[in-house]
Amino acid sequence: MSVIGVVARKETIQVLRTRSALLSALVFIFIFGGMSAPALLTGGESPAAMLDWTIIYLVLVLGAFTGYIFSGQAFLREKQEGVIETLICSPLSLRSLWFGKVLGVSLMAYIFSLGAAALITVVANAISDVTVLPSVQVMIFLFTALPLLIAGAVGLLGFIQLLLGMRENSLIGFAVIFGIILLLSFARGLSGGGGASYGLIAFLLAGGLVLLGISAYATRFLNRERIVRTIP
Amino acid sequence: MGVIEVRDLEKAFDGSPVLRGITFTVQEGEIFGFLGPNGAGKTTTMRCLLGLLVPDSGEALVLGSELGINDSLRQEVGVLLENNGLYPALSARENLEYYAGLYGVENRDERIRHLLSLIGLSDKADEKVGNFSTGMGRKLGIARAILHEPDVLFLDEPASGLDPEAQRMVRDLILRLSETESMTVFLNSHNLDEVQRICSHVAILNEGRIEAFDSVEKLRKGTDQATAVFTLSDPGQTGAACSLLMAEGIEARTEAGGRVVAVLPEKSAAPVLKILVSGGIAVEEARHLSRSLEDIYLEIMHKGGES
Repeated sequence: MSVIGVVARKETIQVLRTRSALLSALVFIFIFGGMSAPALLTGGESPAAMLDWTIIYLVLVLGAFTGYIFSGQAFLREKQEGVIETLICSPLSLRSLWFGKVLGVSLMAYIFSLGAAALITVVANAISDVTVLPSVQVMIFLFTALPLLIAGAVGLLGFIQLLLGMRENSLIGFAVIFGIILLLSFARGLSGGGGASYGLIAFLLAGGLVLLGISAYATRFLNRERIVRTIP
Repeated sequence: MGVIEVRDLEKAFDGSPVLRGITFTVQEGEIFGFLGPNGAGKTTTMRCLLGLLVPDSGEALVLGSELGINDSLRQEVGVLLENNGLYPALSARENLEYYAGLYGVENRDERIRHLLSLIGLSDKADEKVGNFSTGMGRKLGIARAILHEPDVLFLDEPASGLDPEAQRMVRDLILRLSETESMTVFLNSHNLDEVQRICSHVAILNEGRIEAFDSVEKLRKGTDQATAVFTLSDPGQTGAACSLLMAEGIEARTEAGGRVVAVLPEKSAAPVLKILVSGGIAVEEARHLSRSLEDIYLEIMHKGGES
């Protein structure tokens, strides 16, 4: 297994073993995924179109949030506890370390997001008179744009968490949580009532690629001294 | 050329100098003790050597190269820092497996089994590290540091948090690694007794400067002030003996138990003994005083404080 695979595997195992992070993500998905969905699913053009829109919107927000929770374990906690100093003494390059962590964390956040999509579909069918299923566009979104967007968000968060000190990271944490709550609060207002077009999926796919590209490029600005000097 | 070479190393943080041009060399197979009070610059030196900090000027070389610009060389270096580098959510075995994967250790199962047995944690292999005591974590940290059989091992206070038995185990382990595998050990420690017991060479750092750098033996012997303790037959004569010696220009002081400690001119006890005997002082025993590393360390720190 490559070193990136070794890091990714460890991060996956660690997420599965960290009960607090796992529970936070599950509770968040059930509360916001399961409870926001009924409100979002009503109204609009048709139940199918509303389901598409709700899945895309909620799964993106929930995916970003679970990514944030898990990246806190992978990047920030390691820095807070000082384990990162030992890790960056190994032959592993900073970019490989970052990439391995992003891979492991994103995989877990992605699985949770797919779970959220399934939950929303179940809720939609429970409140609808007819059977509704996600469209082909949404399926394409779930299996192409979503993992890229989650990886891009986790990558950017991970980069910031490695680059900045604890105080700055706390402020960013508050901003992320506030932003997520805001996005969920305004979800109903943002709903245009329309479904998911191929154009929107292509736009999201491109957005995911750009986000991942930007965060991968940003790792050039990481160096060991910067990381060590921001360890509390 | 030494395995570790530090030449005129300087490093400042936000304009405040931490290292002020330090120079020392560590030869292959040596156990090198790096001593100094908190804030002396020990950790900064170690971080420069490990390529975690970029020196402002000078060089910090390990195996002839700077680790900061040669990632592959890190394969030859083992590190145990203040933090053990372990993950509490993973078991002891999983932690070692992770690092074995990062360092590309061959025969990893066998090596992990051997190390766990060496540190006496075979029966705890599948227990979460988060449940370990401080000492168990430290021992596992040492196993992690030597997992890939490095040529050079950097240890930061390896015995901290360990009970006396475990401290001895760590000392024996370091000595064995140095002897059997020619592993060079750079030991950052406050524990002067530990350093005196296992280190062949030491450097004492104070306020970013090397105040002493030599073999432990030479530092203990090579002193300008050889001293001896004279036990008098009559403890009531210590005051008179002291006065007698001081009248001859010899620095002397009394000690409990009828003893007089004198700084020896020409590093020999004979002239002092002669003065005492000719002055009518009966001496029961004369013994050279061997300074401990602690004496030397405290003397240096005291001088530093005065300057």
